[in-house]
Amino acid sequence: MDGLYLYCIRDKTEDPSSFHTGGIDGKKEVFTIIHNELEAVVSRVSLSKFTSREIQKKAVEDLNWIKEKAVIHEDVIEEAMRAAEDGLVNVIPMRFGIIFKNKTGLEEILSRDYVKMRRLLNKIRGKQEWSVKVYLMDSERFELIIKEINEEIRLKEKEMASMPEGMAYFMEEELKEAVRSEANKELETILDALFRRLGEEAAGSVKTKILDSEMTGKTERMVFNAAFLVHVDKVDPFKKALEGIDEDMQTKGLHLEYSGPWPPFNFTNGGEQA
Amino acid sequence: MMNKRDKVTLVEVLDKVLEKGAVINGDMVIRVADVDLVYLGLRLILTSVSKAEELSGRSPGSHERELTEEDRAYIDKLQKEIKKAEENIPRLINAGSPRETEQGLAKLILSIVELIRKLMEKEAFRRVRKGSLSQVEIQKLGLSLKAVKKKMQEIQAIFGIADEDLNLNLGPLGDLL
Repeated sequence: MDGLYLYCIRDKTEDPSSFHTGGIDGKKEVFTIIHNELEAVVSRVSLSKFTSREIQKKAVEDLNWIKEKAVIHEDVIEEAMRAAEDGLVNVIPMRFGIIFKNKTGLEEILSRDYVKMRRLLNKIRGKQEWSVKVYLMDSERFELIIKEINEEIRLKEKEMASMPEGMAYFMEEELKEAVRSEANKELETILDALFRRLGEEAAGSVKTKILDSEMTGKTERMVFNAAFLVHVDKVDPFKKALEGIDEDMQTKGLHLEYSGPWPPFNFTNGGEQA
Repeated sequence: MMNKRDKVTLVEVLDKVLEKGAVINGDMVIRVADVDLVYLGLRLILTSVSKAEELSGRSPGSHERELTEEDRAYIDKLQKEIKKAEENIPRLINAGSPRETEQGLAKLILSIVELIRKLMEKEAFRRVRKGSLSQVEIQKLGLSLKAVKKKMQEIQAIFGIADEDLNLNLGPLGDLL
């Protein structure tokens, strides 16, 4: 028996049936189910396969499987979002892995939550999600800057130079700790200012989880991860603000990355729908 | 606008798709995966550990830990250790071929050793501040801690593990270090 894998729900479009991207199972095509002014973007999946223990296990353990499927999921939503010739179609992107047992089940939800979904689409109308991540490229350089500006630390360093090695060790550790804590404080100040500054250009802003290097595949430590909901007219000033900040960040050993427009993943998940 | 794909890393996609986006629950709905990226990261470490275990039948280098009666001999030895490790570190780094396959296991073990080292160091600091130690004792203690630390750095260099890698994310409990 086939179920329906749901990618996103979007505003009604001119040409709801045209999709190039293949479905999540690698075979079935993507299509839409229309309900009044809403379109649910779906593809068929084998229920027995997707509820199997094997897939359930892969979905939480096999990173290659997760990567492959997550990219398809995102690709379909991306295409659904870019279906309009002028600007972007409003979409409510779904989280990965939501399957309806049948069409009736999906239609019931579309009907039951119709008002809620319309309201959500109206909320994000004319806005785009942008992602901003900051990495600490060179923590030594960052700490060096802290050393330079902190008088107390410099004095301690001088004192240490005249001590015997074993005793100096304690001083050294103490000093390092002080530098580290000052560096963290400074970093927090910089990143708070960044979040606030970008927030000024955005209709919504949210800090998201810092990912460790196993996930990012980078040796540099991620220190900032946030998403912003930016009005179409504000995208240019938003980018300009980013570029200005990036220059300043680079001198401090920080690296800023941004990307977008994304489907508004971070601004449509307010409260899980029962 | 369309060139976003080229620049965006996979992690950006995972970051959004797996944890964000709207959720629908109900009788008619099946959820395939509910993955937390932080747990996924921890799981990756553990996977690489089990792989590393197969490859390593090695035992760690023997530590000459006996305490000599002579303070001077002890201090002398520690100083030599420190010097040796200090000389080794740049050589190991320049070798440029950290043993990646064993990195996962080494990282796990070193993270725990680092935790113990930090606890020891904290205790030492507490005693030093309390003023209950003689100058000689402080000198010995400081050198011991420095020797352990240098040894750690040496092992880190062998496995190509950076300082900031010495940590484990324990999910809801936060970081180990």
